[in-house]
Amino acid sequence: MDRRQFVRDVLFWTAGLSLGVPCWKSTLLQAAPPPPRLGLAKGKDYRLLVTGALELVGGIGAFVKTGDNVVIKPNMGWDRTPELGANTHPLVVRALAELALDAGAARIQVFDRTCNEKRRCYTSSGVIDELEKIGDRRIRWEHIDERKFVPVDIDRGRSLKRWEIYKDALTADCYINVPVAKHHGLSRLSLGLKNSMGVLGGNRGHLHHDIGQQLADLATVIQPKLTVIDATRLLLRNGPQGGRVADVKVMDTVIASADPVAADAYATTLFDMQPREIASTVAAYQLGLGEMDPARMEIKTVQV
Amino acid sequence: MTGRQRKSHRGRLVVLRRLGQLVFLAVFLVLFVKTDYNGSDQLSAAVNVLFRLDPYLASCVMIGAKAFVALFLPALFVVLLTFVFGRAFCGWFCPMGTLLDLTRKTIPAADQKNSTSFPRLGLFFLVLTLISSAFGFAVAGYLDPFSILVRGLAQAVYPAASSLTVEFFTFTYRELPDFVNAMTEPVYRLLQVTVLPSGQKFFQLAYFSLFILLGVLLLEVVQRRFFCRNICPLGAMLRLIGKKAWFVGHGGDDACGSCRICSRICRMGAVDADRTIDMGDCNLCYECVHTCPRKIINFNFSRSGRKMPGVSLSRRRLLGAALAGVLLPAVKEVDVLAKNPDPLLIRPPGALREKDFLQHCVRCAECVQVCIGNGLQPALFQAGLDGMFSPMLVARSGYCEFNCTLCGQVCPSGAIRRLTIEEKRQLKIGHAWFDKNICLPYAKAIPCMVCEEHCPTPDKAIRFKEVAMKNEAGQEITIRQPYVVDELCIGCGICENKCPLPGRSAIYVTSAGEHRHPEKSLVSHAGYN
Repeated sequence: MDRRQFVRDVLFWTAGLSLGVPCWKSTLLQAAPPPPRLGLAKGKDYRLLVTGALELVGGIGAFVKTGDNVVIKPNMGWDRTPELGANTHPLVVRALAELALDAGAARIQVFDRTCNEKRRCYTSSGVIDELEKIGDRRIRWEHIDERKFVPVDIDRGRSLKRWEIYKDALTADCYINVPVAKHHGLSRLSLGLKNSMGVLGGNRGHLHHDIGQQLADLATVIQPKLTVIDATRLLLRNGPQGGRVADVKVMDTVIASADPVAADAYATTLFDMQPREIASTVAAYQLGLGEMDPARMEIKTVQV
Repeated sequence: MTGRQRKSHRGRLVVLRRLGQLVFLAVFLVLFVKTDYNGSDQLSAAVNVLFRLDPYLASCVMIGAKAFVALFLPALFVVLLTFVFGRAFCGWFCPMGTLLDLTRKTIPAADQKNSTSFPRLGLFFLVLTLISSAFGFAVAGYLDPFSILVRGLAQAVYPAASSLTVEFFTFTYRELPDFVNAMTEPVYRLLQVTVLPSGQKFFQLAYFSLFILLGVLLLEVVQRRFFCRNICPLGAMLRLIGKKAWFVGHGGDDACGSCRICSRICRMGAVDADRTIDMGDCNLCYECVHTCPRKIINFNFSRSGRKMPGVSLSRRRLLGAALAGVLLPAVKEVDVLAKNPDPLLIRPPGALREKDFLQHCVRCAECVQVCIGNGLQPALFQAGLDGMFSPMLVARSGYCEFNCTLCGQVCPSGAIRRLTIEEKRQLKIGHAWFDKNICLPYAKAIPCMVCEEHCPTPDKAIRFKEVAMKNEAGQEITIRQPYVVDELCIGCGICENKCPLPGRSAIYVTSAGEHRHPEKSLVSHAGYN
């Protein structure tokens, strides 16, 4: 039973009596789940940042169990080098892969459906290079295999009812979403929910018509166990691919949370924006996918 | 005893030649597959070396361009080789020749007489294309064996083989049980990292390229090495040189009686009825030496080789070739394309000015094959009758990748300059235009920014202006409408490629303002909007 269903049931069984009690609804909402935890790490060593942020939300062990198939989904959609802030920083991806290995992952897959030519993106992002440096056979970076897209019904979707999604992202024991925080011309910011577009098949350009709601709809079926937002650099303008160092602000921050909406909402504040300005965050919150009010999150910070 | 030793020695040369052919074919195929992005911005190997070895293409390009093209220096090696060994290149190196030899068992030749059907045709083509090149109608690539071969492979055979393979493994993956996949998937992965291209490519003229290559192979039905003997202008050129080769073959004599095995089996028709070996035709396959019952055929270095009757064009044919060679370029000047070039003819970045470009381009399809975005396509008539198979960017098929300079690296003739990445990013190859009748923010007041999102220039060449307009429900809304900044757009075509509209794109690229023709610049002309 989810929250919406609960509210509906209460209204039904009380025959609408509860409508007369103005405080009821909000009391119920606040009482329902414990506030989501959010780990915030700041510092210059990007690998330590990931470890630090994860420690604050229970450590990698809370997400990755021995023998798990892990999927790490960074943003490496653009043929841009790390300092340009268009892709997830390679050291953040590497640190996550190393942590997952330590936690006993049986296999770690890293992939993204790119916008520029796939091999150029993987190389320029620097991710391949860092993963190869770990030199562990359990880590497998791979290019998108068209055969693995499966049509998925999005039952709870309001705007989007069906789309092709990458099978491995759906079947992983632990799916870790690792977006880079950046500006985006249409959705204003590209964060965790937007990064999920990297596991979609089909003509993704169509999604831009009602992007906020559609990203939220997708989040009902693409559910990362863990969201790690790379805010080591923020691409402030000309997103999502940038191209000028002048558009990048070094922030040296990593955010970790099991709540995808909370992670996006908090990251939004780094851009001096309010979570309610991001349509996908609001839509996802309204679908009951997570918390969007930083005041109702348990935020812990560490300096590494 | 001596006889047997000699026999095995002679047989060994045939084996050696075949081995050589296979090795060179293998090297060619490896280079062909390696003509692809390899994870670094610079290519380590490309099949373009084959074209740079080609003295026929070299002379056509240099005569056409009226300049020395250093890229073709390796062709000098083939010329020298031919001065010494005659047409050994045709018999031992040429991958097209090897392919033709390999069809021997599958395509039996009908002709038993074995006299070359059109012995002067190749020479006619050679003279014609050399003269027409000189006057600005460069079509050497239409007939060059390497161009035909690589085009057929790159634009039809290789992508089709890849498609078949992927379809097969998609079937096994989707339909067959896990234990089968446990065997097939590793094979698929191995193929992916070795011979398969990284993604499926699609080509215009795929059939055409294939049919030309198939035609060359099927002509073996008429006689062995039909293409080499009758059509190949490179062969005709090497024949002219080979006639005076230092290395000569000495055939049989009257004592052979009625035996004419040597002349019957010769794949090049180089042995005449008198058993005289014409070094202009002989490609040193050594089959006659090996097969001769009397073992009297031998080859050695000799300056006093018998004088060969030269194969030359009759005055009438020579005149015909010369006339055609002048007429074709003359008509090119009055083709309407000379006045109004096709605006959709977008050349790769670094391409020379159109006239020079066509003079240099040998239609080898190297750039088309290596194009990382599958954007370059062979032209049909967009560049005129003499521009067939020359590369053009078809953005709906693929765009020009911002950080990629591969086409200039593989071009064997310098038709596309080698560019540094910094140069490439600045170079304007065309210009993007909106079709406001169908572009969503203009036509339907629906927000869309896919073109702007993909626009690769650091200073975005596509920007937005906020406009108040009524949507289809009649509500007044503010919408961001994209526009192109003339000074910044480089014409890469990613906007046209990624435009989410089905079918026709709402933004399209033309050659307007391309760097090659600064006099037609968009920016300097006021009022050009």
